[in-house]
Amino acid sequence: MADSSPRLRHRRPSSQHEPLPTIDDDDDQPPQDAGSPTQFELLLESPEASMTVVSILTALAFALRFYKINHPDQVVFDEVHFGKFAAYYILREYYFDVHPPFAKLLFGLAGWFVGFDGHFNFENIGDNYTDNHVPYVGMRALPAILGSLTVPVVYGIMKESGYGTVISAFSASLILLDNAHVAQSRLILLDATLIFFLSLTMYSYVRFRKLRYLPFSFEWWTWLIATGIFMACAWGSKVNGILAVFAIGIAVLVDLWDLLDIRKNPSIEQFWRHFAARAIGLIVIPVIVYLSFFWIHFAILTHSGTGDSFMSPRFQESLAGNELLMNSIELRYYDTITLRHKDTKVFLHSHPERYPMRYDDGRISSQGQQVTGYGHADENNWWQIVPTKALPETGRGRIVRHGDVIQLLHSTTQTYLLTHDVASPLMPTNQEFTTWARDDLSRYNDTLFQLHLNGAHEGEPVRSKSGYLRLVHVPTKVSLWTHRDQLPDWAFRQQEVNGDKNPMDRSAIWYVDEITSAGDGEDVSVRSTPQQAKTPKPLGFFTKFFELQLLMLQHNAGLTASHPYASVPVNWPFLLSGISFWTQTEGQKQIYLIGNLIGWWTCALALSLYVGILGADLLAKRRGIDPIPLAVRNRLWNSAGFFVVVWFIHYFPFFLMSRQLFIHHYLPSHLASALIAGAVLHFLLSETIEYPISVRGHSTRLRRRQWAELGTRGPIIVVVFFIALFAAFVYMAPLTYGTPGLDGETSTLSDCYHPGRFTSLLSRTSSMIAGQKAGGMKGLKF
Amino acid sequence: MSSGAVRARRPPSPPPSYHQSVPRFPPKEGHLDADERRAAASLGYVPSRKSGHASGGYNITPGEWKLLVLLVVAASAVRLFRISRPDSVVFDEVHFGKFASRYIKTRYFVDVHPPLAKLLITLAAFVFGFDGHFDFAEIAKVYENTPYVAMRMVPATLGITTIPLAYLTLRGLDCRATTALLASFFLIFENSLITQSRHILLDSPLVFFTALTVFFWTGFCNEDKHEPFTDRWWGWLTLTGLSLGAVVSSKWVGLFTIATVGLGTIRQLWTLLGDLRVPPRLWIKHFYARALCLILVPVMFYMAMFQIHFLILENSGEGDGFMSAEFQHTLGGRSMADTYADIAIGSRVTIRHVNTQGGYLHSHAHNYPGGSQQQQVTLYPHIDENNDWRIINATQDNHPETDWMNFHELVYIEPGSRIRLRHLTTEKNLHSHDFRPPVSEVDFQNEVSAYGMPGFSGDMNDDWIVEIEKGSKRDSLSNRRVRTLGTQFRLRHALTGCYLFSHKVKLPTWGFEQQEVTCNKNAVMANSLWTIESSDHPHLPSDAPKVNYRKLGFFDKFFELQQVMWQTNAGLTDRHTFDSRPSSWPLLRRGINFWVKDQRQIYLIGNPMIWWLSTASVVGYVALRGFLILRAQRGYKDFENTKVVKYDTLCGFLFMGWGLHYFPFFLMGRQLFLHHYLPALYFAILLLCAVFDFLTSTFVRVGVSKSRRCSQFSLSGISLSLARWRMGTHGQRKNVTKLNG
Repeated sequence: MADSSPRLRHRRPSSQHEPLPTIDDDDDQPPQDAGSPTQFELLLESPEASMTVVSILTALAFALRFYKINHPDQVVFDEVHFGKFAAYYILREYYFDVHPPFAKLLFGLAGWFVGFDGHFNFENIGDNYTDNHVPYVGMRALPAILGSLTVPVVYGIMKESGYGTVISAFSASLILLDNAHVAQSRLILLDATLIFFLSLTMYSYVRFRKLRYLPFSFEWWTWLIATGIFMACAWGSKVNGILAVFAIGIAVLVDLWDLLDIRKNPSIEQFWRHFAARAIGLIVIPVIVYLSFFWIHFAILTHSGTGDSFMSPRFQESLAGNELLMNSIELRYYDTITLRHKDTKVFLHSHPERYPMRYDDGRISSQGQQVTGYGHADENNWWQIVPTKALPETGRGRIVRHGDVIQLLHSTTQTYLLTHDVASPLMPTNQEFTTWARDDLSRYNDTLFQLHLNGAHEGEPVRSKSGYLRLVHVPTKVSLWTHRDQLPDWAFRQQEVNGDKNPMDRSAIWYVDEITSAGDGEDVSVRSTPQQAKTPKPLGFFTKFFELQLLMLQHNAGLTASHPYASVPVNWPFLLSGISFWTQTEGQKQIYLIGNLIGWWTCALALSLYVGILGADLLAKRRGIDPIPLAVRNRLWNSAGFFVVVWFIHYFPFFLMSRQLFIHHYLPSHLASALIAGAVLHFLLSETIEYPISVRGHSTRLRRRQWAELGTRGPIIVVVFFIALFAAFVYMAPLTYGTPGLDGETSTLSDCYHPGRFTSLLSRTSSMIAGQKAGGMKGLKF
Repeated sequence: MSSGAVRARRPPSPPPSYHQSVPRFPPKEGHLDADERRAAASLGYVPSRKSGHASGGYNITPGEWKLLVLLVVAASAVRLFRISRPDSVVFDEVHFGKFASRYIKTRYFVDVHPPLAKLLITLAAFVFGFDGHFDFAEIAKVYENTPYVAMRMVPATLGITTIPLAYLTLRGLDCRATTALLASFFLIFENSLITQSRHILLDSPLVFFTALTVFFWTGFCNEDKHEPFTDRWWGWLTLTGLSLGAVVSSKWVGLFTIATVGLGTIRQLWTLLGDLRVPPRLWIKHFYARALCLILVPVMFYMAMFQIHFLILENSGEGDGFMSAEFQHTLGGRSMADTYADIAIGSRVTIRHVNTQGGYLHSHAHNYPGGSQQQQVTLYPHIDENNDWRIINATQDNHPETDWMNFHELVYIEPGSRIRLRHLTTEKNLHSHDFRPPVSEVDFQNEVSAYGMPGFSGDMNDDWIVEIEKGSKRDSLSNRRVRTLGTQFRLRHALTGCYLFSHKVKLPTWGFEQQEVTCNKNAVMANSLWTIESSDHPHLPSDAPKVNYRKLGFFDKFFELQQVMWQTNAGLTDRHTFDSRPSSWPLLRRGINFWVKDQRQIYLIGNPMIWWLSTASVVGYVALRGFLILRAQRGYKDFENTKVVKYDTLCGFLFMGWGLHYFPFFLMGRQLFLHHYLPALYFAILLLCAVFDFLTSTFVRVGVSKSRRCSQFSLSGISLSLARWRMGTHGQRKNVTKLNG
């Protein structure tokens, strides 16, 4: 390096083509004088040969992914979820899921297209499709098509990155003949969509980068925007699609950093133009596309459904036929109500028993009447709303509104709810809640509570069922709060209620569950029906979007329960464990998600070789030795480096996640590692590269075309490898397609890479399915 | 490409040979002009090396030594002020005091922290005559017959010593004396460090050893820049290694200090590698020297600490249950006499569960409250006669009680043997049937009970089939038949096909919180393995072969304990009232309530002014560095300015220390507290002072007086804020008015 840079500088003035400084690349050092390609190589690299190869690969991909796609005609694994969601789109019923809607919308569309009426609810793994007349093949065809098309896209990425037909076919066949990719593409699952759009994103970005000498041209803009759109599709397919955004983001940052280099781009205005273009293409447009998925999602799902209970009351009221919409009633003073905690679903409860004078830890209580949280309906849950201001005799003035200061009178003991600066039984930091006799006015101020409706405007009426509220104590500003810890036996192991000193605590939210008797003695049900038209109340798109997005993130982080097939990320590249998707004890059939052993280990080997090559090169360079020609090194850093970034970004974040993880989370990374394997194979086979691959700009110098010299050993190695890969694929195919053949012989195979676990696999899986039938587990998510 | 360009302009440190050719004069002669120098040379003056370079680069003037003494006095005053109060247990003294008493009583215990700091505390307690009888049961328990002041003096002394170390470190890092003085004041008046130093806690030793490591490392770097492979160079390097060993032997957080020094070493080696004038052989020598002193020495030190730990804790204690059977066997009071190796029908045996430390298959004369309501079968960790079972042949129908008694040939237990296990004290058989177990009430689990009565030989549900899983390498026979301590076997219930099973699930109080035993149809292999620990047979001659547990060497014990510590540490995930997440530390969002009694309180909280200033300096450094990188990309030559280079290297090192002691906590799932930030805070305070040094040298060009005024100003601010917060630190009355009234 030390000696190559002066040469660079010397050479430039002598170039005839350079009237202006240009955006230039380090590639302009031709590797060496490569000889002219042989006839065979020319033939391989011709567009016709390339087309033939890619057609064969694509045809094979379709064949492998559609083979026996109708088998099994039962609900498999997460089809429980994603099939159900498609049905909801067709029925237009609102549902909730942690994943963004794009891929599920596609399934809904596919289902609608093949005539699925939505009246099958994919209740359990193993439910029969044929008996229920579900056109499941049409729905499975969608991921199969996308999964098959991934293969030519992978080929395209390699080809466009400047690798030969043979190398591109090598990378494509790693995906084509991978059992995990095939198994995942044949079922109603989201990963095939995600992977397809991820590969398209990479393809578009490579095309975009190749146009870097023609910035702001029409093609440049086209590929930039295509990258943005495909990226948004990947992002919209699954939660972890956001990693595609990060991967492209890093590549763009590196690109921009180069553009900022004063030696390459002296004008700062030029830099800002580049910056703005990328901001539009890779931030603004993807966000618009992503939002539009949700817009369509909300536009379709206008009816009440299973997802209602996840959402806020205001959101629920925007859905037709929602229970809240139908049943919510405005509260008036002197109504007797029950108050329920949003998270733990207990009622605010009190009973004549008193707090013990001294707790076990020696702290002392007020010895007041106990206030607890109680899970069951009971007269002791009844509280009357008492006003603190003068009320008109009748009319709207008697309605309880947001911001009102009220007292709560416990019906059975006729005492007011009160809190004061005494530590609660379980938490010394929180205030104790108790009650105070009705006629004793000495503690009047301590019985005042202010109602805060969530997200309400001034003067909005409080309604049963529909409004989330906080009850904030007026003098001390604590919030009525409860948590799952139980009080000891003296309070019958009911839940502790105390005053939270952070009044905005997210869990300090309650709602009025029911009006048990109206203050004025009339029937509550009569009160509201005539006044209220029961049409859905529209809610702004962004309000809905942000609420849903937040809930998705929270629920995603909350998926931490252990699962028999959950695995740890360290094991993924080495394929140490898989997931049993479906089993049928009779006939010993099973679908087991596991990759192609040869393929995955090749990828793992290629990754380590890549790190080794670059590491050795760095060390050698540090000692002033230049073992790799500059252009080849740049290809390794820039082109394969991009694949490594994609691999790393889709892999490493999983180490930080505490939620349950499965091997199919590695599939996007596996795709990237297949690309790296191609690049490394090229490096091993040849010391030359095809050059230049970028489209020549108006002011770039003409450079002599170089050929990558693979010789004849390249195609031979790849063909031999392809055959080995295919053999491994066929060997493991019974597990992928769920065909019989899981006899002792195959299970020995499985034992090789899955020691000790496979033996009890069948029994475990069947017990798991039994559990699902009992309504316990519901498959898994993500 | 850019690095190449920079290298051309600013060569890295020259090799040793290069140094020697440069004439070196004593500083005093530095301003001799050329003529005088020639005259001096002709008079025989040789350029002297000794006075040109102080050891470790620490050029300390005599005046500064006096200043250091004053600093120590001030630090002692703050840290030792009424150290005897409160005279009751504060916060984690519950644990660390208790561990000291365990050391003194030589009872084995398991803690998540390595032993060095606890050993130091124990030493103090021992010297001052602690007999180990105080139990440190709970916070605010009043001390009786405990030299707790002496024990508190250990962290206090180390806390005081940290302050001159910080001063010297900054001096070694080429900061001005004023800056170093400021750092000392910051540390003296940092409330959280004071609170930690005044009680029997491990964080003060940790911060001390961290500071010591940084001090030695700075010295080593200075020596390395001067001339490598001198005696002094080796000295500083070895001291760094020893101190690294000490820091990691205090708390595992010390690993972050190792990472800091490690990254610094890698950086040095990388620079050397790029210096083409350093031949490979010399580079290898550099490499080995560092590997020896910075890897081998700390490892040896760490292991030596554990060796002391094992030597002291020679008796059985409350930590037994964490360790394997072999380990327990090495402890006094738990060792077992040699036992017969052969097992046959009629042997009296104790059966141990292999995978958990739950203990022996046990039964006692209490019944299950639910299910079959038959007699309980559990795992019990202690030796007891209720653990004794007799193996009976289940295939002999006639008088199975007696046939082995009269039949003098031994019938060994082989794979497939059908046996019954008779509980000796209650004369009931190990039994299983189609009832759900009391705790794990799932379909694939069956209850295991003891059933029968004296004289009743039992029914078919008492029959178990032996399946040998693996034998021991030491005993070749153990693969073929069941042998004591050698064979790991499973017991399959003959009628239902389930396996005798246990897992880490405790029975409720009616089962004395012993571990549940079930019969599991989908048993995990590891949890259904059993082994026989002791056996006795009346027909075996007294000279029959006997066995005992393998004697564990130091390394076996060491690695086992490391694993147990790691698991225990990872298992500390319960919420604590005062735990906090790392994101809240730099802003000092909350502290820890250490002790409350009689309207007085000790509350761990930092000095907000120091704390926030240090955080601001970290943020400021990152922002400035980022800005400079952007400027460099646009062709500005900031990084050729020697001043920028000097402060960037200095702040970069301290920032790296801060980051490595802070960010790894984000990856930890266990409960975390504010005091985990203290090592990072030490680096942040040094960084703050480095920033101060930079600012005063850059913007205050008027003279030293102004920078002094700056430091005076900030000192008065700190003293003020300390005065406000000291109530919390020293356990003063919560309510000042009460004090007056």
